[in-house]
Amino acid sequence: MNMNSALGTETISSSDMPNNLSKDVTMESTTIRQTEVRHFVDLPRFGSFHYTDSETIAFPWGLPGFADLRRFVVLTSPSTENVIWLQSLERLEIAIPLTDPWRMFGDYSPSLPESALLSLEIQAPEDFAIMNVLVAESADGEVRQFLNLLAPVVINLKKKIGRQVMLEGTTYTVRTPVATYQTEAETIDAFEAHHGDE
Amino acid sequence: MLVLSRKLNQSIMIGDDVEIIIVSVDRDQVKLGIKAPREIAVHRSEVYQEIQRANESAATSILETDDEKLETGTANPAVLRAAPKNKTTKTP
Repeated sequence: MNMNSALGTETISSSDMPNNLSKDVTMESTTIRQTEVRHFVDLPRFGSFHYTDSETIAFPWGLPGFADLRRFVVLTSPSTENVIWLQSLERLEIAIPLTDPWRMFGDYSPSLPESALLSLEIQAPEDFAIMNVLVAESADGEVRQFLNLLAPVVINLKKKIGRQVMLEGTTYTVRTPVATYQTEAETIDAFEAHHGDE
Repeated sequence: MLVLSRKLNQSIMIGDDVEIIIVSVDRDQVKLGIKAPREIAVHRSEVYQEIQRANESAATSILETDDEKLETGTANPAVLRAAPKNKTTKTP
């Protein structure tokens, strides 16, 4: 298969054709079937990644802390199960981990303010996805995870626009503890301390 | 930063669509009324700042390390699913 051109689009060259056909067949620069342009990026955190324009999600208001970032894609990485990364296309080093809140909080019932539904042009419940920002902090050999239940990320799946929405009049918090686990180094130390040199 | 003095019941216009009214003043607490179009979100600043800090912290997340990234395969586009219908409501 031909290499990607500098513009990041795939092209098929005549050298791909079997030799006995290459003289007789002229390849047009546009392929016969309509395919979307596939963009390739080298992500500092996830390596090579490709996406199409229809996979891009717009965040017209950015995100708190990243108000100027407007274009994202969502991706999964084999090394982080159950995490969907909101990857910025404008600052490649920025990727925010999101997760399905109902996986950990089955009763989560966010009440979305009208400003959110209107601004995201949401018309029906099946139109949108809700995910929450996951924060992981390391301290004293422990990793603590928190989920922001107060401000879910809401994405209109049909229009491909998203926004982080602050819930109103709610008791949900930004730093809702999820899980605490020890880092691998700590666990090994603890095991050896307990069992000695067996 | 623009600083304006207002007395009780006076108000401030921000742009053409947002009005802030001094509803009551009681010692060190001021009650503000906000008139804004429904699509504009209005929130207490400290909550917004807390969300900001959480996002900044999450963006430089330690969830995965560079070593892990090199060992495992490439990232793939995620498929998003709609939120469960019976869990999300609209604020009246």
